Amino acid sequence: MSKLIVVHSYKGGTGKTIMSVNLAALFAKRGKKVAIFDLDFRAPSLFAILRAETRVWLNDYLNKKCEINNVLIDLSSRISGEGKLYAGLADPSPAAMQDMATKGSEWGKRVLSRLISLKEELIGVQKFDYIIFDTSPGLQYSSMNAIVLADLVVLTTTGDCSDVNGTKRMLSEFYTMWETKTGLVINKVLDDEARSNNAEYVKRIEEEYNVPLLGAMPCFCEVLKAEGRYLFPQDKPDHPFTGLLYEIADRIEKKHYTLTCGIQKHHQNTV
Amino acid sequence: MYRQEGIGKKHLAILEKIKANLEKLNEKMDILIELRQVNEKDTLKLPDAPLDVITLLNMPDHLRKTAVAICRNGRATAEEIANQTNRARAMESSYLNQLVIMGYIKKQRKGKKTQFYLAKDGGELL
Repeated sequence: MSKLIVVHSYKGGTGKTIMSVNLAALFAKRGKKVAIFDLDFRAPSLFAILRAETRVWLNDYLNKKCEINNVLIDLSSRISGEGKLYAGLADPSPAAMQDMATKGSEWGKRVLSRLISLKEELIGVQKFDYIIFDTSPGLQYSSMNAIVLADLVVLTTTGDCSDVNGTKRMLSEFYTMWETKTGLVINKVLDDEARSNNAEYVKRIEEEYNVPLLGAMPCFCEVLKAEGRYLFPQDKPDHPFTGLLYEIADRIEKKHYTLTCGIQKHHQNTV
Repeated sequence: MYRQEGIGKKHLAILEKIKANLEKLNEKMDILIELRQVNEKDTLKLPDAPLDVITLLNMPDHLRKTAVAICRNGRATAEEIANQTNRARAMESSYLNQLVIMGYIKKQRKGKKTQFYLAKDGGELL
């Protein structure tokens, strides 16, 4: 099972946070124990989407000022059923964002080991089923660390040509170095043919990006208008967006993404 | 006129003192920079230097693959790593030992099994 899922993109505005939050809610709705973390320290948004209050941030954990349990906010009451949903938020204050942006390389070295400790504690000790990292776009330090540790990266992209180009380059030149298991989600698609149940479309996309397609999401005005007010799997179970989310979750749980990004390149280099 | 000349000499003396202090300060900064450079070289050799993403990026492909597998697992035997990397156990043992010598990971014998894990910085909170 993919324990640590990292939601990442080349550019901002591709729907990472909405995808992360609703995937976390969906897994919790299925009875899983889930934690979602905001790793976008340059532009934190999870606090606003979840409308959650805290005085202890993920920044504090990474700065070794607290333990991970102090950071977790229990949001399980927002989901019906036996599942558990927790969140760890990035500090949205300008001072904290500036602090994180100016951290030196020595601090950077410790981030990977702090994130490994987080994974060991939550998955190994506290038996969480899933940890979801909502990352900052591009190759920020925190995003790179998350990609290194990921059991699966859900890479979100749009049809925007600069996004398509950048995403392909990032996949071929960075992801291949880590042989990260990766699945693609194309968001805000306008083409009626662009559906994850259209075999021809899936084949074309998978050949183009050289990674498996987890889902193609049309541009739903209701999702944009909701601005995080709804956890779709809980509050809008019959919405088509929720239906497509279930398809993506099924593919993640059934390991549809068994192809590993860069595996062919690796074999050529080392065997 | 006499008074102006007196003030001029006084100013000159102050300026010379500031210049002398700046020169002393520069000498001390040079020593600090040299010490820092020496410390940085030593840090790389320290056995407990934590592994970071930039270090991983600079590693040769074969070692990076092993190091990343350890990062993802937290703690594992050579056989467990070999199963994930699809390489021979003996080869993984060699790579893991190289990473131990380089100070990036640690090795611990538990009964008949030898486990490898990431060398982390101290766990105490600041």
